[in-house]
Amino acid sequence: MFVFAASDKGGTGRSVTSANLAYQRALGGDHVAYVDFDFGSPTAAAVFDVPSAMRGTRERGLHSYLEGEVTEPAGIDIWRHTEHSVLRARQNQAGRLVLYPGDIGGGEFATGEEALERCVDLLLRLNSEFDLVVVDLSAGRSYAVDLVLAATAHPRTRHVPYRWLVFHRWTHQHVIAAAGLVHHENGIVRSGVDRGHDEETLQGSIRFVRAAVPDPESPLWSQVSHAQQAWMQSCDKALRRLAADQRVGDSVVLGTVPLEPILQWREQLITEDDVLSTQIANKETLEALEEIARRLTDDSHWGRP
Amino acid sequence: MAPEGTAPRAVLACGEVRTCLLPAGQALDSRAAAQLLRLRADERVLVSERPNLYGLSPDTLTGVDCRLPSSNGARVRAVGTVAARAALTEGRVLQTSAYFRVPATGPDHRRPWGQYLVRPGVVEPFGRLPREAVAEGLLDGGRHGELDVGLIADGMQTRLLRHPLLDHRPPLRSRPTRLRWVALPARDGDGPSIERFTLAEDALRTVRLRVPEGVRSADIAGLCDDLALHDWLLTTVVRILDGIRLGPGEPWPRPGPAGDLPVVVGALRPAVDHLLHLWMPRARVSGELAHLWAALEERPGFTRQWLTLVQRVRDQLALHAIPPSYREVEPRP
Repeated sequence: MFVFAASDKGGTGRSVTSANLAYQRALGGDHVAYVDFDFGSPTAAAVFDVPSAMRGTRERGLHSYLEGEVTEPAGIDIWRHTEHSVLRARQNQAGRLVLYPGDIGGGEFATGEEALERCVDLLLRLNSEFDLVVVDLSAGRSYAVDLVLAATAHPRTRHVPYRWLVFHRWTHQHVIAAAGLVHHENGIVRSGVDRGHDEETLQGSIRFVRAAVPDPESPLWSQVSHAQQAWMQSCDKALRRLAADQRVGDSVVLGTVPLEPILQWREQLITEDDVLSTQIANKETLEALEEIARRLTDDSHWGRP
Repeated sequence: MAPEGTAPRAVLACGEVRTCLLPAGQALDSRAAAQLLRLRADERVLVSERPNLYGLSPDTLTGVDCRLPSSNGARVRAVGTVAARAALTEGRVLQTSAYFRVPATGPDHRRPWGQYLVRPGVVEPFGRLPREAVAEGLLDGGRHGELDVGLIADGMQTRLLRHPLLDHRPPLRSRPTRLRWVALPARDGDGPSIERFTLAEDALRTVRLRVPEGVRSADIAGLCDDLALHDWLLTTVVRILDGIRLGPGEPWPRPGPAGDLPVVVGALRPAVDHLLHLWMPRARVSGELAHLWAALEERPGFTRQWLTLVQRVRDQLALHAIPPSYREVEPRP
């Protein structure tokens, strides 16, 4: 299955959260590919802590592949190459976790029939090798978004299931932006239909992930004053109303990731170690990630909204 | 190695084979296999049904003019053609295989193309071939701009995987493998032998062979295809068995109608349906090379491992025929 991770704005934690989902699925035994279509951003190397392995892929990344300069894009086996001590001690029974990086310094590039065919080749090859293929797309209505919309509408991928995750922060601006990315005139759904997707099917395969959400009920905020608490609750309520109006309400939310300093600042995978031994991450965050990872393939969360 | 046709005596042969599960829900029958493998309009696909269903495409040629990789940095330019072909076993496992042979010396200038074309699958060095260094260089894989037969095999695979016959609904997830080989002449009077067989990282296998004069490079490629096929089968079934989690622990939910199947049965069933009947070493290896298998059967013991794996698959399935209420009881010492 393909999972496309999109967001309208930067700073939604899209890359770090989708990398965490890939990591969780691999821990649970899936073979997972993480494909970095966030062209031009070096986040993935940091998230998976593979800086030196990345150096070897300078000219064999996804750009070079899509442009036809290399016939196979470089893949980095995370368990083997990570410099993160906890990750290196790969858990027993974990599946493979392979990062397909973009070229260092490669920006967006011209689209074309050949690039599309190569993208389809790549996705199909990954589909026959991996249980789950997470594709991280650059923010906004980017070339990467168009490319995968065209690739999943291609006759050769007709039998490959795909799902979209749209990440947004829990603010007025971000809710509206996320809704726009999906529903507006040149949003994902319309562009997909233009490329041959069935509107209802595509719509039904999109879910939202609310990131960096301060939960007023959480112990984190138990020390705040009554006034503050009441204010937070009323803001939260107003946002829910807005989200529902914008068609990004609870029925199409796959999960919520709490506000978590370690995701914001360190931009790395959250391991059990971070929660249990060093305790720099919150248990709730890890649980939220595990739950979203589980729901990715739980059909009961992907009925028609 | 052969004085094949009009070509000068070859002192080195080399190739690479890519092996993958055909990404289709159903195995292809012989007619569909012939359709898939029709890489050239002017030549027929060979399809045989005994002892198993097997299709072999005609050879295609790729012209090359580039440096050969070498372990000591020697710069050897070479010109000629690389032969490549595709094979499909039981309509299920697709292999693309590219190979060439190299004579000990060649002219130190480039000849007209016609002269290379009459010697398909021969790549001539400019001047003398530093055989040992090039053999090691080829096994290690070339750098950018050096001859890489793997790319030719890969290109053919990409082309075949675009065929409209394929629905891209593979019955199981599996990892493709690459097997790179070189063959050097055997010492006078010696028979063929495998000097080295290694499993490297990234699903790469390397094989170094010695073969007596007179063995065709297509036959060596055939032997290596057969090794690659069986190595891939072992690798794939081991991976399936590694993936079944025994005992408690919630597995990830599975989308679609297969979601309710017991996990172990869901994981092993495709092996039974699509892989277990494919084991048939030496089915198409030429007589003079067939006994090389005996060494591999002795150590590491390919068939021995295979039989153990098959038994494990069957035992697990037998165990899952027992109702869960009896099966899930933890045995007590």
